[in-house]
Amino acid sequence: MGFLFDGLDAEAYDRQYNDGQLLRRIVGYFTPEARRMFAVGFTMLLDTLSRAAMPIIISRGVDEVQTTQDSGLIITYGLVVAALGALAWLFNFIRRWLTAEAVGNVVLQMREDAFDAVMKRDLSFYDQFPSGKIVSRVTSDTQAFSTVVTLTIDLIGQLLLVAVLIVYLFFVDTSLTGIVLIMVPLIIGVALGFRRVARFTIRHSRRVRAEVSALVQETVAGISVAKTFRQEHAVYADFLKLNRRSFWINLRMGYVFSGIFPILLMIVSFAVAALVYFGGLKVQAGELTAGDWYLFAQGVALLWFPLTSIASFWSQFQLGLASGERVFALIDSEPKVVQRDSRVLPELRGEIEFASVQFSYTDKERVLDNFSLHIRPGETLALVGHTGAGKSSIGKLIARFYEFQAGRIMIDGVDIRLLDLAAYRARLGVVTQTPFLFDGTVRENIRYGKPGAPDSEVERAARQIGNGDWLKSLTNGLDTEVGERGGSLSMGQRQLVALARVMLQDPAIFILDEATASVDPLTETLIQEGLDAIMKDRTSIVIAHRLSTIRHADRIIVLKQGKIIEQGNHDQLLEQGGHYAELYNTYFRHQSLEYIEAQRKANAEAAPESAT
Amino acid sequence: MLNAAKSEFTVANAYRYNRQNAARWLVSHIMRYRWFFFTTLFLYVCTYSAYTASEALIGQAIGAVIEPENFPLLPTIALTILGLKLLDGVLSLIGTLSVETIAQRLEVDSREELYANLLGKSQTFHNQQRVGDIMARATDDVQQLNGMMNPGVAITMETVIGLVVPLIFIASLRLELLLVPLLFIAFYIPVVARYVRRLNPMVRRQREQFGKMNAGLEETISGIEVVKASAQEAFERRKFRIAASLFRDYFVRQGYIEARYLPVLLFGVAFGLAFMHGMLLYQQGIISIGDVVALMGIMGVLRWPTFAAIFSISLVQAGVEGARRIVNILQTETELDQNSGGISQPIKGEITFEDVSFGYGKNHALKHVSFTIRQGQTVAIVGQTGSGKSTLTQLINRTYDATYGRVLIDGIDVREWDLNSLRAQIGKIEQDVFLFSRSVAENIAFGVPNATQEQIETAARMAQAHEFIMGFKDGYQTMVGERGVTLSGGQRQRIALARAFLSNPRILILDDSTSAIDSATEDEIQKAIRQVQQGRTTLLITHRLSQIRWADLILVVEDGVLVASGTHDELLRRSPHYRRIFARYDVALPPLETVAAD
Repeated sequence: MGFLFDGLDAEAYDRQYNDGQLLRRIVGYFTPEARRMFAVGFTMLLDTLSRAAMPIIISRGVDEVQTTQDSGLIITYGLVVAALGALAWLFNFIRRWLTAEAVGNVVLQMREDAFDAVMKRDLSFYDQFPSGKIVSRVTSDTQAFSTVVTLTIDLIGQLLLVAVLIVYLFFVDTSLTGIVLIMVPLIIGVALGFRRVARFTIRHSRRVRAEVSALVQETVAGISVAKTFRQEHAVYADFLKLNRRSFWINLRMGYVFSGIFPILLMIVSFAVAALVYFGGLKVQAGELTAGDWYLFAQGVALLWFPLTSIASFWSQFQLGLASGERVFALIDSEPKVVQRDSRVLPELRGEIEFASVQFSYTDKERVLDNFSLHIRPGETLALVGHTGAGKSSIGKLIARFYEFQAGRIMIDGVDIRLLDLAAYRARLGVVTQTPFLFDGTVRENIRYGKPGAPDSEVERAARQIGNGDWLKSLTNGLDTEVGERGGSLSMGQRQLVALARVMLQDPAIFILDEATASVDPLTETLIQEGLDAIMKDRTSIVIAHRLSTIRHADRIIVLKQGKIIEQGNHDQLLEQGGHYAELYNTYFRHQSLEYIEAQRKANAEAAPESAT
Repeated sequence: MLNAAKSEFTVANAYRYNRQNAARWLVSHIMRYRWFFFTTLFLYVCTYSAYTASEALIGQAIGAVIEPENFPLLPTIALTILGLKLLDGVLSLIGTLSVETIAQRLEVDSREELYANLLGKSQTFHNQQRVGDIMARATDDVQQLNGMMNPGVAITMETVIGLVVPLIFIASLRLELLLVPLLFIAFYIPVVARYVRRLNPMVRRQREQFGKMNAGLEETISGIEVVKASAQEAFERRKFRIAASLFRDYFVRQGYIEARYLPVLLFGVAFGLAFMHGMLLYQQGIISIGDVVALMGIMGVLRWPTFAAIFSISLVQAGVEGARRIVNILQTETELDQNSGGISQPIKGEITFEDVSFGYGKNHALKHVSFTIRQGQTVAIVGQTGSGKSTLTQLINRTYDATYGRVLIDGIDVREWDLNSLRAQIGKIEQDVFLFSRSVAENIAFGVPNATQEQIETAARMAQAHEFIMGFKDGYQTMVGERGVTLSGGQRQRIALARAFLSNPRILILDDSTSAIDSATEDEIQKAIRQVQQGRTTLLITHRLSQIRWADLILVVEDGVLVASGTHDELLRRSPHYRRIFARYDVALPPLETVAAD
């Protein structure tokens, strides 16, 4: 019964694809499963023949029994029908089992290919698509594809049965077969009409369900506010109105969905009555045996179910193909970052040079234009500027996460495009703005930077950050579970883990996008101390949001619209009164001790007012 | 109804359901619509009778067409078959609509009941529940009740009726003919039970594995920068392959179990044997050829119930599971005693903790905390996430009660205050301020619905919110949330402050550990907080050094213990932790006094 209702809630994807290419791709994936698929086809045929033979043998038996006295023959008929029933089950079992194996293998292969394709992509791909969409291509689209392949095979089996029976009936009696065939367009037509109405009601139903969810979500989340202010009655009245509306809309949909099968049954009943009548006339005239007449009456019952399936199948099939096509599109696309050689530098000193680099994420706006910058080995560089000035792009280009369009980036004097990426990145420490942790323990997360490092080394790295004091606040020390995405740890603790990860990795170049989330002052102090330890003795590039980081940097690079407009240290730049001074007043002033002290004065001045 | 007594919210004339356990609760919900239910049951019996009768009649038609004297009966028989089949269709339509109505009502009623119940639950309850869990109860679980009724219960009824009614018809043909169908049913029941027992765990495992595969991939992709930067692509690929292969294995195994569905085999064999039995009886002259064909027609009726059972079992199971989770919530009782009739007077604002501990077993969130806050003081509470800062403030407005020691307000134990009076005078602004999807003005006036526009604007001005509100196109009528503007953390906080100005609490608890913001916003918020703290006791959970610096009292909490308290200058001298923070600011620090307590 699922068939008729499937695919109604799917969105339409207006994509163009070449049927031939798509078919070739699908066949290509099924080629390793050729032997299984051949067996599937063969057992399907046998299954169909046994199932078609059952009513036919019964009809022969009904005719035979009226003329014979041989009970052995009767028993044989009964046993043959029973055996056919058992065989039909057996062949169907083998077919479905083999199908599951073949489809399972094909989908696994598609998933692996899709995964490999995803991993090969550079970060521009991940910017373009949210992670949920990528995941759904790799897992859900392949799943939808496999469902449709299975359904298609099932449907072919059912249609084969319909075809075999109709051909047989046609040879028995042409005009009665005509009555059966008249039903075909009628049932398909009604089923298609039903789907149109169903689509309408389901859309409304889904919308109202979303509204109810949103309302419940909001009031449950805001329940403390409602309670503090004693507004329960108003909130409940709102809910009641919507909940009752959702009842009527869902009831309408429920009625539409419940109505379809009884209606189809009623249509079929006209055909059955007609067959009984006209068939009866033919039996009386001696043109038809009683057994054949039975066969026609039964045949109708066997036909109508597959026919309703066809009505819904086409849109299902298209959706499945579209899913397949989305997966293939993912597999076939080319990554933009391409290495021309795979040189491994003997020892990375950490000298970086940007020479007239041009870079943009999309074709629209240029992020870096004719950008040149020389970073000395071991230097600590702070990048400051408004959002979109190009700060993080510099770090991402050094990590070779993106392809740039013109100019050159040299690492220790070697073109970055000639490097072996895996070896190069192993010498690169990156901490992102919201540090990402994998589900597992703190220890496992630190070790991610250097797989195979012994526990002692992991512990030493952890102790080098903030004197190891941060470990005390973890319930199980290094063996504390961090939870999904590090959710069990506070933001500050996640940053500390990420820093320890880099510490263990001991990279030659350290790239840090400083977090903007606020952290309690003590944790903040630990993080700062950890940063001091990491930045010592290695090239560090920091996209800075913390005043203290900027003050400790060897050089501050002030960026505006992809260009360096000022550079120097904090005091020099502040004195200049240029763009840096403006940035300082916008982002950093309130972190300064002067500001903190000034607030105290403002507070003291405000206090007497309240005393009155 | 014990829990009704403690509820903080009740609906007048609400229908009472039995909440003793999930099964009784479900039955009492369904029995609210007992006429619909019995109508459905009755109609299903009728519809299966009409259906089976029409199939039997087809067989009888054979008798008619074979005997010449019965020839005139043919049109009548054909029309009767048509009539029965149409009757079958109409009755089954009405029956299905009736059960569908119960299904939809079940969803709506239980959501209504749950919702009213949730509103009646105490704050304690809501603080302990995750929003996502409650959401799932109110949306997914109640929807599963809908599916449980139709098609779940509907198909179960059909299965039973669809197996029993045809048997009665067969018995009426000839009692001996029941032999094969009865044997079939005797095997069918245990075989289906076994099938469900084997399939269910596999379905669950497959679904879980799909979830794991998804979650793993999602994690890899979200952390792609770390993966690439650490050159760990191969490791991630191996992880994914293991997950995907395991899913394939479950997929194939489930396919195997489904393909093997034995009732189909039983039915096929029973079909053949019933045919044999019928023909043998015919040969012995016990039944007519029409009876044989009728028998086969009736046997055909059994086909659908044989298949349908598997659809319904899992649906009913899921529905009962959902009901169990809902009833669990309904049954949970409010722990706090409202103490209405307790002390109810204006709060002055002095707060004292006397050796307060909170928590169960080894996990004490607070351990032996003692301090006094004088009326009108501003207190900064400092500590790492999870150190017990929030718990400390939650004991003041009795979100929780201390497990040991006493919390006093104006020298009176909080448990002796009337809860309503106490909470009405303690305002709280959470870290992530919650705003309703209503206008800005309605949000500010949420606690004082009859506030005038002028009062709202005054409050907004004091909270430094007026300017940015006027910056919106619709000013105070601007809608907040999904269908309106998205407000920044700083803006939300200032609206919450305006809300606090309007409701004017005597004690204000402000969780100000929001994200870092730019200097201008920081200025505005500082100004607003300076305004709000005047004339009331204010507790700030904060990360901002500027606020810590100007607080009258600083409480440093670490792992549930109050490790230091005092003014800025005192702490610089006494607390090594506090010194460490300011050491980075190159402040000239006073000499450290060694204190035994630290």
